[in-house]
Amino acid sequence: MDITAVDRSAISGDTLLHRAAPSSKLVATALLLAAVVNVNDPLVAAGLTLSLTGAAAAVRLPVRQMLVLALYPAVFALVFAFAAAANVPLGALVVLKAVTAALAVVTLMFSTPYPQVFAPIQRVTPRVVGDALLMTYRSLFILADKFSDLSRAIRLRAGLSRRQPVRAAAATVRAMGGLLLYSLDLSQREYDILHLRGYEGGFRVVRQRSADRSADTAALIYSAILLGVVAAFRWIPGLAGYAWLVTLAGAVDLATGALIGRRRR
Amino acid sequence: MSHIHIPDGVLPWWLWVTGWVATALLLGMASRMATRTGTRRAVPLVGAISALVLVAMSIEIVPIAYHVNLTVIAGALLGPWLGAISAFIVVLVLALVGHGGITVVGLNTLMIATEMALGWALVHGGLRLLGSRRVRPVAAASTIVTLAITTTMLVGIVALAGSGATARHTGALDVETLEFRNPFSGDLINVGLLGGDNHGHDGEHATEAGHVDEHETEAEHDDEHEEGGALSVSRFAAVVYTLGPIGWVLEALVTAGVLGYVVRVRPSLLLRSVNAPPSASARVGDEHGGR
Repeated sequence: MDITAVDRSAISGDTLLHRAAPSSKLVATALLLAAVVNVNDPLVAAGLTLSLTGAAAAVRLPVRQMLVLALYPAVFALVFAFAAAANVPLGALVVLKAVTAALAVVTLMFSTPYPQVFAPIQRVTPRVVGDALLMTYRSLFILADKFSDLSRAIRLRAGLSRRQPVRAAAATVRAMGGLLLYSLDLSQREYDILHLRGYEGGFRVVRQRSADRSADTAALIYSAILLGVVAAFRWIPGLAGYAWLVTLAGAVDLATGALIGRRRR
Repeated sequence: MSHIHIPDGVLPWWLWVTGWVATALLLGMASRMATRTGTRRAVPLVGAISALVLVAMSIEIVPIAYHVNLTVIAGALLGPWLGAISAFIVVLVLALVGHGGITVVGLNTLMIATEMALGWALVHGGLRLLGSRRVRPVAAASTIVTLAITTTMLVGIVALAGSGATARHTGALDVETLEFRNPFSGDLINVGLLGGDNHGHDGEHATEAGHVDEHETEAEHDDEHEEGGALSVSRFAAVVYTLGPIGWVLEALVTAGVLGYVVRVRPSLLLRSVNAPPSASARVGDEHGGR
């Protein structure tokens, strides 16, 4: 789980989705999540996953990195599906829901900087919560770097080796202890800075506007179409026999998206 | 294993909406308590500890679906109220990188906040009772008890969801025979998914009962889909209580190791807050005191 890769793409990427307003992307993600919540057919769910991957490839987002993150919850969903699902199709549905929801959220996060996603949350949560959310974002990258440095230092001193798992585990635990002390020192430094600057609560995030209206429209229409398809297959029983068409359309989307993405390069 | 790795759209809407409402109330109370002792102090501390928990959670042992949590340590350092805020932040950031559903953020927050509050109570209570020299066994025992309780909460949530509430249709797929039905073909074309018999279920019904009973068989099919689509709570509990203890022991070892290291390197950090009277407003890491 490399959170820093997400931030790099969100900050320095330049795709069609990066040009859309964060508010439009948040609405589009909400529509996609509504589709995931309501999908009740594994074939339709598979179609959503394929289509979403194709869309990400078409706008040239880093699909491989995204898939690593999106497939990660599949591991846990598999355990849940194995434990709780009464049959194979329901298990497949659970796993596909996990992957599709993760893919929707990861697409948002790979094209939108964290503070822009946190800004609307900050508006509806108590001030301490909103500010701590932004402070977590700042501290996260500092601590991730520090932990990486600590692990590298231990490895260079031959403390981390696959042949000696117990020793490596003990070294990792000590590194985490060091990281804990460092994080408390970091919080102390941040407190000093806030004190010096007269902070009384309420960080402000400058809202990012749309750089390309067509990108906003495209994201919203695409998400609405996917939700519409899911709604149709859920509430029109006559369509049940044609769910495979959604999977097929998803596969076509994926192939087309991959081709468009490759051409643009 | 304790917090919910259940994807979006599996739990019934009333359950996750209740989770969100309860979390909103908890956050309201927690932020009021945090503001009383100083926002300026709370914000960086919660930020740093939440970030630490997130970094720790990136250390995974995939085969047993386990990752380090550090929630007991975070709870011991933050206390129950700041712990609740930290729990919400951690769960939200995790959901935003696809690790856990967005709809279950509320329920997840309640689970992690409970973990932190229990961790705080058990670690501090244990250290007061047994003394600082026993920090490792106290930390390990507190972690195991905490995770056992929250895992039981998880099973309770799945049980609350109930088999009826979570039952869902699986579209054209017959979950009994794993065949796809084509409603416009008069049940003549069936495609077996996992070695299913092409003249399976539907065909049998058609030949035995004829076209007169067509509607009845449709209804039967729907009933089967409902039953077949239910979550099995007992199997879920069996798997969770089988895999869970491995995770509890690993987490207990990590917690004991980290807290043991902290008490050895900087004993005042944990022990000062343990020995301080309950009214003391100084927080962990508050080197200069005051606001």
